[in-house]
Amino acid sequence: MLQVTDLDVFYGDAQALWGASVTVGSGEVVSIVGSNGAGKSTLVNAIMGILRPRRGRIVLDDQDVTETPGHRMCRAGVAIVPEGRRLFPSMSVEDNLDLGAFNRVARAHYEESLQWVHTLFPRLADRRSQLAGSLSGGEQQMLAIGRGLMARPRLLLMDEPSLGLAPVVVDEVFDVIETVRDEGVSVLLVEQNAQMALDVSSRAYLLAEGRVVMDGTAEELAKSREVRDSVLGL
Amino acid sequence: MIELQAAVSGALNGSLYALMALGLSLAWGFLKVINLAHFAMILLAGYLTFELATSTGLSPIATIVVTAPLMFLVGALIQLGYERFDVSELNSLLISYGLLIITVQVVTNIWTADFQRLPSEINPFSAESLAVGSLRFPMPTLLAAGFAVVLVVAAALVLGRTYAGRALQAFGQDREIASAFGIDHRLLGVLLAGAAGASAAVAGMLFPIGGTLTPDLPFEWIGLVFAIVILGGIGNVTGTLYAGLLVGATSGLVAVIWTPSTSPFVVFSLVVLALVFRPKGLFPQKGG
Ligand SMILES: Nc1ncnc2c1ncn2[C@@H]1O[C@H](COP(=O)(O)OP(=O)(O)O)[C@@H](O)[C@H]1O
Ligand SMILES: [Mg+2]
Repeated sequence: MLQVTDLDVFYGDAQALWGASVTVGSGEVVSIVGSNGAGKSTLVNAIMGILRPRRGRIVLDDQDVTETPGHRMCRAGVAIVPEGRRLFPSMSVEDNLDLGAFNRVARAHYEESLQWVHTLFPRLADRRSQLAGSLSGGEQQMLAIGRGLMARPRLLLMDEPSLGLAPVVVDEVFDVIETVRDEGVSVLLVEQNAQMALDVSSRAYLLAEGRVVMDGTAEELAKSREVRDSVLGL
Repeated sequence: MIELQAAVSGALNGSLYALMALGLSLAWGFLKVINLAHFAMILLAGYLTFELATSTGLSPIATIVVTAPLMFLVGALIQLGYERFDVSELNSLLISYGLLIITVQVVTNIWTADFQRLPSEINPFSAESLAVGSLRFPMPTLLAAGFAVVLVVAAALVLGRTYAGRALQAFGQDREIASAFGIDHRLLGVLLAGAAGASAAVAGMLFPIGGTLTPDLPFEWIGLVFAIVILGGIGNVTGTLYAGLLVGATSGLVAVIWTPSTSPFVVFSLVVLALVFRPKGLFPQKGG
């Protein structure tokens, strides 16, 4: 459903991605692993339309979305769970979810999506009028995922959803990733926690210094020397 | 008793400053532009009110039907310009200072640097006042306070209760992510800047109603209005009103207890203290 081809992305004059190519199939979890600074977030943000690539193509279901700005991408069916969560801190849990469903397509399914999110994360229902900024780290991550799901994506981009969370909460996050996939949402998962990411993925890419240096099935990458050296720390 | 009269009159005056601060604060808080052209729009609206009322004989309040939509357009166009050229917060300050200077010059060329005053036949408010016990309030300041309260409450309701308002808040908190969820910041920004422009038209109308016009009025306003924006908390609309009332009452009181010339000293000491101890304004919003 997503084809990224030969993407070059710059921050001013500094190039952060060199010819990155990635595909995600329908209903698939694909992970991008790589060490800090490899360019993972840059790739995700370029797909979301937050960053504009200088070269290359991004195609979503046969539609060229390379130049599509962020606020149109979500209508096309892509949502993001950003690195560091980036909630709207001085708004309530409910308002954060509400804004997740801001686009016209998602708004039509608001009630249905809210029930889905509340089923996945019952704690968000209990805390609905609390300010997002006052939640615990784990709850904030759930809210960030919930907000992403409220957009009713066909493709969910998740940037380091387990970062800084307690192990129990990390397990919960990965369970949700599998649930979401089982309901037909494709997931592009960025993780430094490569072991867990590869466990839930069918395929994976290894990024290093802005280039895709390896791709294959999750098992292949988990066994490879490059991944073991550079990310798994074995 | 003279202190009470001074404090209340001061507060009423302060509400007019709060009304001027409202649009500046909204644009600064939500769009990250420091738009000195806001003062140019207020000035221009003041002179247009004067011109329309004297040439048609209409009540100055009725001219709002023309000036508010016009200033909405001007505000929106300026914002489109800022967007188009991707102007940073600091550069917006410089560019809009230029726009202000140009406007002051144009106004001087058209209406001269002399005082302009509405004839009393079309401006009955100037002679009216309301007596409460031994206190007396001129009608123009009451009108100003009324408009200020109505616009501030309206702005607070729109921001807090509507979809567009929440979208603006989200945009003020994290632009990129707000866009990623479908919030078209250009459209919202232009609408907000337009609304700020319309509020400038209302503020501008109140000057010929309350007194005389001169082209250099903006330079009298800027200091106090910025003080109110900062004390109220940038982007905090109700805070802006409270700050306006507080600054006005303080100035009024200081003026009768000491001398009028000590008011700025006291007000700006307050601002400095606030920036040190309450950097988010005197009336922080929940969670912010
Ligand atoms: N906003 C930015 N401005 C300039 N350079 C950036 C910015 N964000 C990231 N970079 C640079 O781009 C490279 C890739 O960063 P990033 O995509 O955040 O890596 P990752 O997510 O894999 O940790 C790094 O060298 C980083 O320093
Ligand atoms: Mg990253």
